[in-house]
Amino acid sequence: MREKATTLYIGPQHPGITGNMMVKVQVEGDTIVKARTEVGYLHRAFEKLQESRNWLQSFTLLCRFCVPEPDPVEESYARAVELLEGREVPERAKYIRVLMLELARMASYMLWYGGQNGSLGLYTMGQWSVGDRNYILDLFEELTGGRVYHMYIWPGGVRRDLPDGFADKVLRTMDYLEKRLKDYDDLMFENTIFQKRTQGVGIISKEKAVEWGVVGPVLRGCGIKSDIRIDDPYEVYDKLDFIVPTQEGGDIWARALVRRQEIRQSIRIIRQVIEKMPSGEFYNRIPNPHKWTLPKGDAYARTEATRGEVGMYIVSDGSTHPRRTHFRGAAYVHGITLLEDLLIGENVADISAIMNSLGTCPPEIER
Amino acid sequence: MSFFDLNGTLKPLTALKQFGKKPHTISYPKESKEAADRYRGLHFNDLDECIGCGNCSTICQNAAIDMIHIEGHDGKKGDSGLRPRVDNGRCCWCALCVEVCPTGSLSLTKDYLYVSEDPDSFLWTPGKDNPEGKEQISFFSTEETSLNVLDRVPMPELEGKERVKSFAEVVLGYNEAEARAEASRCISCGLCTEVCPEHMHIPEYINAIAAGNDADAVRIIYDNNPLPEMCGKVCTRRCEDVCAIASRGEALAIRWLKRYATETAVTADITREIVNPEIREANGKTVGIIGAGPSGLTAAYYLALRGYDVTIYESSAKAGGATMYGIPKYRLPIESLDKQIDYIKSIGVKINFNTKVGKDISFKEIYNKFDAVFMGVGFPDAWSLGVDGEDAKGSMQAFRYLYMINSGDKVDIGDKVIVVGGGNVAIDAARVSRRFGADVTILYRRRVEDMPADWEEIEGAEDEGVHIIPQGIPIKVHKDENGHVKSVEYLKAEMVPDPKGGRPKPVAIEGSNTIIEATAVMAAIGQMGDYSFLEKEFEDKIKIERGRFIVNEKQQTGDPKVFAGGDAVNRTADAISAIADGFRACKAIDEMLSA
Amino acid sequence: MKELKESIIKRIKANFADAVERNDFKDNRLDFSVKKETIPAILFYLKDEMGFVHLSDVNCVDWLEDGELEVVFIVWSPADKIKVFVRTRLDRDNAVMDNLDMIWRQMNTYERELREMFGVQFTGLEAPEEFILEDWQGPPPFRRDFDSAAYAEKTFWHRPGREDAQDVRESIADRDGEEIPDFAKKYSR
Repeated sequence: MREKATTLYIGPQHPGITGNMMVKVQVEGDTIVKARTEVGYLHRAFEKLQESRNWLQSFTLLCRFCVPEPDPVEESYARAVELLEGREVPERAKYIRVLMLELARMASYMLWYGGQNGSLGLYTMGQWSVGDRNYILDLFEELTGGRVYHMYIWPGGVRRDLPDGFADKVLRTMDYLEKRLKDYDDLMFENTIFQKRTQGVGIISKEKAVEWGVVGPVLRGCGIKSDIRIDDPYEVYDKLDFIVPTQEGGDIWARALVRRQEIRQSIRIIRQVIEKMPSGEFYNRIPNPHKWTLPKGDAYARTEATRGEVGMYIVSDGSTHPRRTHFRGAAYVHGITLLEDLLIGENVADISAIMNSLGTCPPEIER
Repeated sequence: MSFFDLNGTLKPLTALKQFGKKPHTISYPKESKEAADRYRGLHFNDLDECIGCGNCSTICQNAAIDMIHIEGHDGKKGDSGLRPRVDNGRCCWCALCVEVCPTGSLSLTKDYLYVSEDPDSFLWTPGKDNPEGKEQISFFSTEETSLNVLDRVPMPELEGKERVKSFAEVVLGYNEAEARAEASRCISCGLCTEVCPEHMHIPEYINAIAAGNDADAVRIIYDNNPLPEMCGKVCTRRCEDVCAIASRGEALAIRWLKRYATETAVTADITREIVNPEIREANGKTVGIIGAGPSGLTAAYYLALRGYDVTIYESSAKAGGATMYGIPKYRLPIESLDKQIDYIKSIGVKINFNTKVGKDISFKEIYNKFDAVFMGVGFPDAWSLGVDGEDAKGSMQAFRYLYMINSGDKVDIGDKVIVVGGGNVAIDAARVSRRFGADVTILYRRRVEDMPADWEEIEGAEDEGVHIIPQGIPIKVHKDENGHVKSVEYLKAEMVPDPKGGRPKPVAIEGSNTIIEATAVMAAIGQMGDYSFLEKEFEDKIKIERGRFIVNEKQQTGDPKVFAGGDAVNRTADAISAIADGFRACKAIDEMLSA
Repeated sequence: MKELKESIIKRIKANFADAVERNDFKDNRLDFSVKKETIPAILFYLKDEMGFVHLSDVNCVDWLEDGELEVVFIVWSPADKIKVFVRTRLDRDNAVMDNLDMIWRQMNTYERELREMFGVQFTGLEAPEEFILEDWQGPPPFRRDFDSAAYAEKTFWHRPGREDAQDVRESIADRDGEEIPDFAKKYSR
C-alpha cells in the first residue's frame, strides 16, 4: 500500500538547519520524495549596498557573507581589487593572509565538527570543538581585534602586522589542537553511531558532482582532486608544501574524512607559514579611500574556503564606487539544486546531516 | 560491519577521561575576559585632540556616526566645534573611522560590555560619555597604518644654482597627474575655508580637480576670487596651517592646486570662456575705486558683474598693487598677472593708469563723481631702521628696491648686500639681489624659526645661497669717504623668554659688536600708509587710527559712501585678506546702492 | 600559457565567428564577448569540447547608460588551468535569453536570481516564480535605476534621537557666512 505523502517544513528556525532557510519536504513514511529549499530570510542585498559604498567601505560588509568563515571572502575581494588595479601586495602580507585563511579554515571545520555531530545527536563533540575553536578565535582577536568578524584582509595587504610573540602563540595553539584532534577521532570517527549514520548517506557520484557544479571538500569526497589552492594558486600557496586529500564514496562519511585530513593539512601549512614568513611591509597603502578610483574593467578572484570555491566578481566603471560586485558562494550551488536532488530517497532524519555535510550556508546563498 | 561494533562503542567512552580536567571556560559573571591588546571595542575620542573634521562620519558605512555640538567645544579656527557621536546600535566595529581619523584622536577600547534596556542610551559621544576609555585604548591608528595620505606630492622646482641666473619662475607647477594625486589626498572637511579670509570654496575646487574636472574647479575658484592665479602662486595660505591632514602629515598643497587649476585657463579669453560669468545688465550706478591692488580689483570685478559701472584710478603704470610691484617676478611672472587683469578688464572694469589721486585728480572729485567710493590704497611707504648712517648712499628701503626692479629700473647695489628684517619682503629683496650677482646676508633680530616669512621662501633663499644671520640687531651704518655704505655694525642678541608667555624677545648683548662689510643696506621691517591724498574735510570723517582706516564689518568708513580695504585697513596685510575686503565691500556697496 | 591562450582563441574564433576576444590579462584569464544567441553553443562547446567543465560564476551587470544588461559567465578548465569569461549584452527592455540549466544544473539557481533581481528572462526555465524576494511588486531591485536608499526611506523610518546631527562643511560655511554656489555643491562631501 502506498503511504500517504505528508509535507514537512524544516526551518526556517530549526536547530538542525545551518542558518535561516527552509527545506520543504514531502515524505512518504520517513522517506523524502520531494524537497524544495526556500530562501529569503537573510537577504540583505549586500551586492546592491556595495554599489553605494566606496571601494574601501565595501570591505566591511564582506565578512557578513558567511559567519563561520569570513576571511576567504575578504581575501577574494581584496585580491579582486588588487587584480583590477594592478596593486602589488607585500610578500609578508601574503603570508599573513595565508595564516589567516588557514586559521579560518580550522575554525570553520571545528564549527562543522560540532554541526555535523550535532545533526546526529552527538553533542559532546560540538562542545569540545567549539570550545577549542575559541583558542583560534583568541588568536584572531589578538591579531585583528575581532573574534568572529575580523575585517583584517583589505586591498593592499593586511591591516596590522603580527603582534609581538604572536607566532609562538600560534605554534603553541597548533600543538594543542593537534593533540586534541586525536581525541576528536576517538569520539567521532571511531564512533559506531557516527559511522552508521554517515556511511552510504547522501551519496554524490563523480559524474553528478561535475554536472551539478560541486566544489570543495564535497567534490574531493567524490574522489576528484580539486583545490583552488593548488589549481589556481593565490597568495603564497604555491610556495607551501601540503597535500589535497580525496576520498572515494561521495557520502557524508567521505566528506567528513576529507575534512578530517584537511584540518591536519592546515596545521601543516600554518607551521610552514610561520617558518617562512619574511619580514618587511605588511601593507601597500591605498590612496585616500574617499577618492580612490579603480580603472574601468572587471576582475574575478576565487578562494578555496571550507565550503568550496568562493569568489568575488567586481566591476568598475572607473569611479570611486563599485559598478557591481557579485559574491559567488559555494553554498549557492550546494544548498539549492544539489540539496533538493540529494534529499530525494533519503530519510527525513538525515536532512540536517546532509545539509551540514554540504556546508550549506544560507547567508551566502542570499547575501 | 556487524551490528555491534565493540571498538566503535568503547572508543567514544574515552571522553570520560576529560572528567576532572580543568575547564577551558571562565566563570562568567565572576570573571570577564580581558580583551586583547588590539581589541575593537567601544569608541573613545580625545575631545581636545579632535578637530571635528567629520572624516569618521563620512567613512562610516553604517551611518552610525553623527557630528554634533557638545558643550565646551564651540569651535575655533581649525576646529569645527563638532564631535562624533556613535550610534552603538548601528556600529559594526570595523574601525574604519579610526583608520581615517587624521588626528588619531579616535580609537577603540578594550571595553566591550554595555547592556541597557533603553535603546536610546546606545547613542554615545565617545570621550564625553566614557572618559575612562582613555585608559583602555586598544585599537588606534598610527602614521604607519593611517588611511590618510600623509605625504605631499613634491612640487617640481628649478635648482638653486639655476634660479639665481635669471628671474625665471622658480616653482614649476604640478602637471595633471601630480595635481590629481595631490588633490585626491583631501578629505573635504572644509576646516581650511574658515581660516581663509576670503572663505574660498576649497574642498569643492580640490574635489573638482581630483575628479578630473579642471573647468569646474576654475569656475568654483572664480566664484569669490578674481586673482586666483596670483593667490595660487604667492598666497600666504593660512588654509594649509589648519589642514586636517597636517595634524600628522603634510598639509594639502592647496595653494599649488589652485595654481594648477587656474593655469589650465591659459589666456584671459580662455578664462572668460571657462568661467563664463553671468554679467548683469548695467544698472546705471557708478563706483570709483582708488588703487588697482588686489582689494580694488576684487571690488571692481564683482561690482562690474553686478551691473555697476566701475572705474579704477591707479598711480602706477600697471595694475596689481603690491602683487605687481612688491613680489619678485620669479614668484609671480608679469604675464600671469597681466592675464588675470586682462580678464578683469574684459568684463568691463575701466582702469586709469598713472593717475595719482591727490595729484592728478582730487579725492573730492572722485567722491562727487561716483555713487560709492572704494579705497584700496595699500601701504606705499616703509619704516626706516632708525640707526645712524641710514642716509648713506646705498642704504635703501627693500620695498622701494623691489618696486624699482619690478618697474624695470636699474638699482646699484654693488656686490655685498645686507637685508635687515625677516618677513617676506626681506627674503624677496635678498633673493632678487642674489639674481643680480650680489652676496646677500639677511640680518634678523630673532631666530630663523621666528621669521614671519613663508618657510618655503626661507628655504628657497638658503638654497640660492643667501646667508642668514639670526639674532643680530643693527646699530649703525658706516659710510666711506664718499658717503657710501661701507659696513653695518650690529649687536648679537640673546633670546629672553617673555614672562607673560609671549614669544621670546631679543635682547642685545653689550659688547658683542660685529661689523660686516656692505655695498648696500636694505631695510625691510615694515610698511606704512600715506593718506595725504585725503582733503581735510574727508580726513575727519574717514577716521584713521594707528596708520589704518577704521571701517565697520562691511568695510565702510566713517563716511557711509566711502569703503576701504587691503593693507590700509587690515592687520594681516596679505593679498587674500585684501581680496576678502574687496569682496565684502562689493557686497556692502551693492546692498547700499540697490536699496 | 601564452600559446595555450592563443590556441584557445583560435579554436573559439574558428567555431564562433562573432566572438570578440580580449587577451591583455597578465594572469590565466581569457575573455570573449558574443551575441546572446551564441551563448548556449559556446558554453556547450567550452564544456564538452575544450574541458571547461567548471562553472565558476554567472552574474549580470546593468549598463543603464547603454540601455543594456551584460551577463557574464566564468568557466574554468581544471586541465588547462585557464578561466574564460564569456559575456553577452542584452537589451534592457527586452532581456531574454535561452535557458542554460541543461549545461550545468546549478545554472538553474543563477537564472532564478537573475530573473528576480535583474529581470532577465530565460526561455524555458523551470523553477518556482519566487526565489529570494517574497511578494515583490516593484522593478527588479538590482537594476541601477532602482534606488534602494530611496526605497528604504519610503518604506522604513528613522529612529528618533539623531536629528541634531550636523554637516561639518555646512556648519563651518554657516559660521563664516560662506556662500557655496549651487554648482559647486556636488563637489562638497
